[in-house]
Amino acid sequence: MSSNDDKGLVDRCRKGEDEAWRELVDRFGQRVYSVAYHFTLKREDAEELSQEIFLKIFENLERYDGGFPLIAWIVSLSRNLCIDRYRRQKREKSFRFVSDDAVLPLLRSQDDPAADALKKERTKILFSALAEIPEDLAEILVLRDLEGLAYDEIGRALSLPEGTVKSRLFRARAEVARKVRERHENRGTGVLTSLAVAAGAFV
Amino acid sequence: MSCREIERLLAAEAPEAERRAHRAACRDCEILARDLATAESLVSGLQAPAWPPRLREALLQIPALTVSCEGAEMLIASSLEPGEEPAPAEQARLTFHMSRCDGCREAFETLTGMRDLTAPQPAPWVAGRISATRPVKPRARWKGILDPRAAIGFAYAAALVVMLAGFNPADFARRAGAGLKYETKNVAVVADASLADRLGGFQQRALRAVAVWRGRAGGYGRAVLTNVIALVMRPEQRPRPPQTRPRNGEERNVPRNENETSIPTWRA
Repeated sequence: MSSNDDKGLVDRCRKGEDEAWRELVDRFGQRVYSVAYHFTLKREDAEELSQEIFLKIFENLERYDGGFPLIAWIVSLSRNLCIDRYRRQKREKSFRFVSDDAVLPLLRSQDDPAADALKKERTKILFSALAEIPEDLAEILVLRDLEGLAYDEIGRALSLPEGTVKSRLFRARAEVARKVRERHENRGTGVLTSLAVAAGAFV
Repeated sequence: MSCREIERLLAAEAPEAERRAHRAACRDCEILARDLATAESLVSGLQAPAWPPRLREALLQIPALTVSCEGAEMLIASSLEPGEEPAPAEQARLTFHMSRCDGCREAFETLTGMRDLTAPQPAPWVAGRISATRPVKPRARWKGILDPRAAIGFAYAAALVVMLAGFNPADFARRAGAGLKYETKNVAVVADASLADRLGGFQQRALRAVAVWRGRAGGYGRAVLTNVIALVMRPEQRPRPPQTRPRNGEERNVPRNENETSIPTWRA
């Protein structure tokens, strides 16, 4: 959908059309909730954060000028809320101990308990590593690799040049990879191998 | 890590063959590439968490719950106008919005706070200073003519010039025959409402009054002068002792004791 369509939708929302607001919620609700969940890893917190983001969207509709995609504007608007919540969670260290329930909504069941267990452990490791890297790197990795936003959308949302987005994304991936490798080396054996063995117990 | 060539190749979206060739030549980049592949495998395969239906319902209720900042400005403006306060539902939306928006809450409190302001009391010297700094209007020259004192002065000056020139306004009127009512053998009667006649009569009465007062002043002056001279030139009179009858043992003009003295009195 083009920016003109986005602008038309926002203008209709500003005029108080319920149908337009319903359309906006249905188009972006899933995505906003997904971003919120990746930053919180808690269902209740993600719902609360999603409502907060949509309240902010509604209260600031007049600020959208249609200059770039609406999803980028929404991400830029919700960025501070997400980062605040993310920092709070990091202070509470809830990210350091990612629970099984936290990652379950992110996994596709493969009817293979061993594969599911392996995937679950890897996902927990992923989010633990994300919590340990700088926020500006973590948010780009979430937006690009978990949310699938385009480079230009991320750049507009974060007010960054596209080259900087690519560079930070590379560093974020490398940091996460290094964290995973360090954990593997500290344990003395391959984490993934041990996880696979552990998962084999379910078979 | 010193070599960042693999990063540059990935950012430039270089062909896979070129990246593989560099990885084969650079051990650091080989390790980094393997780490990246690990991270990618961690991320891939994850799905977006499904958003619960109750969240959708809650999001759809947002327009009834709050108001935008521009809507809040309108509600704030109308809430300040007596008789045009927003409806309770609108007021609730505004209240909810202000609980979240610092800017709108500050605007509302600032505007409603105006009602509590009192009129400032100026210092005593302010009024005088203000009136002193009031610009002076340039006075039109022709307005001086309308000044009553100037008008009276002009009239008197004109009348004086006419009289000093030896003209009698009554003569002018008489020569012109203006207002002539009738004429007998000895006197001509002109219109009694003529301004010239009035001026002439006033002049004659004034001269007559001056003559009378001059005569009176001369008479009174002479009388005053005579009395003053008589008073000054009056002969001195010695005081006479009181006429008392001498008692037994006393002789005339002898004091009754040594301390008693007689004090003469003067009478003008």
